[in-house]
Amino acid sequence: MNKNFIPAQAIIREIIRENEQIATFRLELTNKRLPFTFLPGQFLMLSVPHCGEAAISISSSPDRLPLIDLSIRRAGELTTAIHGMKKGDQVGIRGPFGKAFPIEDFANRDLLFVAGGIGLAPLKSVIDHCLFQSGLEEDAVQSITLLYGSRTPLDIAFKQAIESWQKQGVDCRLTVDEKDSTWNGHVGLVTELLTDVTISSNTRALVCGPPIMIRFVIASLADLGCGDESIFTTLERHMKCGMGICGHCHLDGRLICLDGPVFNVSQLKKLDVMEFAR
Amino acid sequence: MIDLKELILSKDNLYPLLRKLRKEARLIAPVKNEHGDTLFRPVGDRDTTDIDLENQPQESLKPFFLPQQETLAGYTINKGEYSFSPPPPALDTIFFGVRSCDLTALLYMDLIFSKPFKDATYFDRRNHSLIITLGCNQPFANCFCEATSSGPYLEYGYGLQFIDLGDRYYVSAGRGKGADLLNKWSYFFREVEEEDQNRRYQLFLEARGQFTRNIQVPHACRKLQQEPVAEAIWEKLSSRCYDCGGCAYVCPTCTCFSVDDKPQDNSSGIRVRSWDACTSSGFTRMTGGHNPVDRTRHALKRRFLHKLKHDFASHGKASCTGCGRCVDICFGGVDITTFIELFTQQEKP
Repeated sequence: MNKNFIPAQAIIREIIRENEQIATFRLELTNKRLPFTFLPGQFLMLSVPHCGEAAISISSSPDRLPLIDLSIRRAGELTTAIHGMKKGDQVGIRGPFGKAFPIEDFANRDLLFVAGGIGLAPLKSVIDHCLFQSGLEEDAVQSITLLYGSRTPLDIAFKQAIESWQKQGVDCRLTVDEKDSTWNGHVGLVTELLTDVTISSNTRALVCGPPIMIRFVIASLADLGCGDESIFTTLERHMKCGMGICGHCHLDGRLICLDGPVFNVSQLKKLDVMEFAR
Repeated sequence: MIDLKELILSKDNLYPLLRKLRKEARLIAPVKNEHGDTLFRPVGDRDTTDIDLENQPQESLKPFFLPQQETLAGYTINKGEYSFSPPPPALDTIFFGVRSCDLTALLYMDLIFSKPFKDATYFDRRNHSLIITLGCNQPFANCFCEATSSGPYLEYGYGLQFIDLGDRYYVSAGRGKGADLLNKWSYFFREVEEEDQNRRYQLFLEARGQFTRNIQVPHACRKLQQEPVAEAIWEKLSSRCYDCGGCAYVCPTCTCFSVDDKPQDNSSGIRVRSWDACTSSGFTRMTGGHNPVDRTRHALKRRFLHKLKHDFASHGKASCTGCGRCVDICFGGVDITTFIELFTQQEKP
């Protein structure tokens, strides 16, 4: 797709309500001949009428193209506006932008996903892609474990996806910060779930969530023996262009939109970020 | 066939030449207005005489390539169809009287707007422009272009470079459009003689000797690669940064921008790109209010490190061109020269 400021039209084919605040918007380009492909971890610049643009991670696998999922939490003007849109409405997209997760390195690995809230969105693209690949012997991953933290049981998002992953053999462990009467699962921070997980040199950990969560999970993973180049995260920053010009996501000589948003811990160590405590 | 690389233009021929150029393209030059401000403005046939080559233009060329506000796209929502249209094409423009620092800044912008994708709007303007510079024989009060290798004369990058030899200009042509222009209007010019070359060289040496400010830019850049800036320096500077954004707006190399929609009515609007400043508190604030930068301590950190540390590391040159405009505009006195002075005096931790 054209890497410039003119977005391509996309139509909302379906809306999946993930929780009170998060919905997944399933998009398709209106011009079906427009070449479009992406890798898990990349993001789009999403246009919503009269609301400008926002950087949003793609939450579906490229194997689902031409459908493209954007899972969006209602937080500001643009995200609130798209939550008011319906099936058949149009949005604009530019991209894909940014560095993806190193999928080629995941074959035959034990993948450990650690997510909090909406942070599961970019990781979901990887999980779905790896499950699709597992049909293809040589690229299959060894195992997939997901540790997912939510604030309350009502806040648990992506339930439909999690159910489907469980059916496909993904070890999904959920936790909530505050329980209610319906919950008989784990209560506590997602880092607590890490103690029951086996970590080996074959483990590749992918972490996404609030900055403070990323920080503690990375520290715990390091304590458990996970190497700096085996832990990946994806950073969220304010962006206006997605293509390395606007300057908003500049960080210590790096641009999150070009050099990231995916970083391993050894790359993260060189940056002055709240997601990593030096 | 005369050598078109370098020629002499008598000052008597300057306005006649500019009037010819004015017919080929929009001509923009520093013009002194009724308030005494010198600003780059389009020049008409009659007012070529208002061109002010004595004073430093108050703004750089930046607004002509990255305007303070510009339309990136128009959009309409018509029967559910949400579509975008590109902005109008750029006009052919000749810029005259551009100072060396400001052209150096434009060459830096060329880098920024082409990595890794070419910004179509910017390059449309760039490709339709020809820049004629005027070397500086007398640095202005806050200038330090010698320390940033962006003046007082230039060696490349211009369409044409004019050097004032008193009653005549020594004109050097760059590649492409500049040489074509000299070729086309060759009858206004005469060939360079040895005396012209000697005079030019003498003026160049004199100009270099006239800088009143000694700002140690290369030293600061190298030191930044090796040691961190003391927190106390950042805090001291930030405490007198009043979030006005003035430094970033007058800076010829500050290119950070924001993009927003401006609805015209329910079914249409424009997408507008406007200048932004990394010194402002909203620059990194995310939806939901979280801000990864603590402004009270680090308001200026991003700006100075970007120009002096990161750009030096990636391009071998600071992205400060020594134009001195930010020195005048900062009423807190915490411009880049203050930072360089504090940091170069910092003792090894």
